[in-house]
Amino acid sequence: MTEYLGIAVSFLVAAGIAALMVFLGSTLGKKNPTPEKLKPFECGEVPFSLPIGRLAIKFYLTAILFILFDVELVFLYPWAVVYRALGPSGLIEMVVFLGVLMVGFIYVWDNGGLKWQ
Amino acid sequence: MSDLVLIIPELVLAGTALALILSARRIQRTPVAAIGTVLAAIAAAVISGLLLSRGSKIGFGGMIALDGYSQFFKVLIGATLAVVALLSVNSFGEERAMRVEYHILLLLASTGMMLAVSAHDLLPLYLSLELMTLCSQILVGIRVESPASNEAGVKYFLLGSFASALLIYGISLTYGITGTTDFAGIASAVSQHSAANNLLLVIAIGLVAAGLAFKIAAVPLHTWAPDAYQGASTPIAAFLASGSKAVGLAVFGRVCLAAYGSQAHTLSVILETLAGLSIVVGSIVALSQTDMKRLLAYSSIAHAGYALLGLIGGAPAGASATMTYAFFYTFMTLGAFGVVAALGKRGEQLEGYRGLAAQRPGTAMLMLLFLVSLTGIPPTAGFTAKFGVILSVVRAGHIPLAVLAVACSVVSAFFYMRVVVLMYMNGPEEPEPSGLPAPVFAGLAVAALVTVIGGIAPGSLAPWAVSP
Repeated sequence: MTEYLGIAVSFLVAAGIAALMVFLGSTLGKKNPTPEKLKPFECGEVPFSLPIGRLAIKFYLTAILFILFDVELVFLYPWAVVYRALGPSGLIEMVVFLGVLMVGFIYVWDNGGLKWQ
Repeated sequence: MSDLVLIIPELVLAGTALALILSARRIQRTPVAAIGTVLAAIAAAVISGLLLSRGSKIGFGGMIALDGYSQFFKVLIGATLAVVALLSVNSFGEERAMRVEYHILLLLASTGMMLAVSAHDLLPLYLSLELMTLCSQILVGIRVESPASNEAGVKYFLLGSFASALLIYGISLTYGITGTTDFAGIASAVSQHSAANNLLLVIAIGLVAAGLAFKIAAVPLHTWAPDAYQGASTPIAAFLASGSKAVGLAVFGRVCLAAYGSQAHTLSVILETLAGLSIVVGSIVALSQTDMKRLLAYSSIAHAGYALLGLIGGAPAGASATMTYAFFYTFMTLGAFGVVAALGKRGEQLEGYRGLAAQRPGTAMLMLLFLVSLTGIPPTAGFTAKFGVILSVVRAGHIPLAVLAVACSVVSAFFYMRVVVLMYMNGPEEPEPSGLPAPVFAGLAVAALVTVIGGIAPGSLAPWAVSP
């Protein structure tokens, strides 16, 4: 169990620092509330709205493209760990796998998926 | 590397798909993709047949099997893909039709199908079924300008994800009980359990069966089929009703016989329920349909039930009856959907068949052949197929189920023959249907040939229909 003690301590330190900052801010800070300031903060987005707004479809394509490289990385990491044990056939198989993924990327590129009009 | 020989047919299909992806933009307005798909499908089917001579083999660490069972279905899948590609020539009228992508997805779905029938382990089985289902789901929704197509695609996707979850849950429980996903390993581990004192095993088998029942659209997991078939373009509906269903049956057969075979009682209860419900619900609900594709969808649900009859009892003879059923059913369904596709808009409604015989006697004759075969009237392949499975269920000692199957066969004659009556007992109607384009005719000719030969030479398939 002792090897987990460090993790527990770092959790406590992090929670302590966060709590301290919130506490100091709310006691020492100057207060000048406006309706805009009292809204829950959510990264510049309007926190509550009906889900009928529009979202650019470009983000969807970006997300799909991200998956392409994400899957690649997920597979490359464990492969790199056992690379020496696999020998030359491991290298060939990885090149084939990357080739197939690149075919998908070339398709997107070829059909104008990378243009941000 | 020598294991790659086992999957040459899959490599041919996947390689063609990759080549088409690379050249997609340049060949969008040409028939290159369609021709390439047909050629690749024929090549894959021929190679699958030739590989049989190398004898049974298991490769890739026990994951992929090459045996008579897998090659039988691979030939069937190759033929299905070729016929579907031929039937599809009419479906690219719209400006935004994605001709190349359509064929790529067909090829990849067929690759998944071929891997699924040769899978000898639950994990490659799941992955290949997912490849098949995901590609089919996109194909159902590929007509982007049609709201019905989009709706069908989304419905199929959501219900399909749910069914996949059931399947993977069943797989994980099986792994938990037996400690392996390999069929041979599962079989030896499961044979030491008795179902009575292991509820978990019963649940695992039930969940796997439910996931597979979705793929073959057996009641009570059939609800997606009529909507998906109706919204999809007709050749895709044909692909789902024939190829997808045959693969589902193949996988069902292998899992029942090779993995969970020793749990005969559990399997028997599950299969009887699925088969009985599918036959009754499919036959009765089809009576009230006015849309041709929905009618054929309910008919395909009933046929899924008939095909499952052969697996009850777990006898090798029954499994080969199911294989024969899947083979002949695939071609008669492809034929019936092919005629629907050839008639275009007019073919989608039942009323559209009014007076067809007076205008297009050849097309009407083909439709008559396929409908007679679907009903199961001799001398067509449909009779051979139905006879085989009903005989096997009688031998397994389930007389009431056999009586039910025959009775529902009579019920099904009502809705199949209603189309025949509309075609032959009415005068010509407007608009005049167009003739059959050469590729569609070729596809229908193959389907008709198999349907006729299967009827007049019932034993012709027997040497190849060997259970795993």
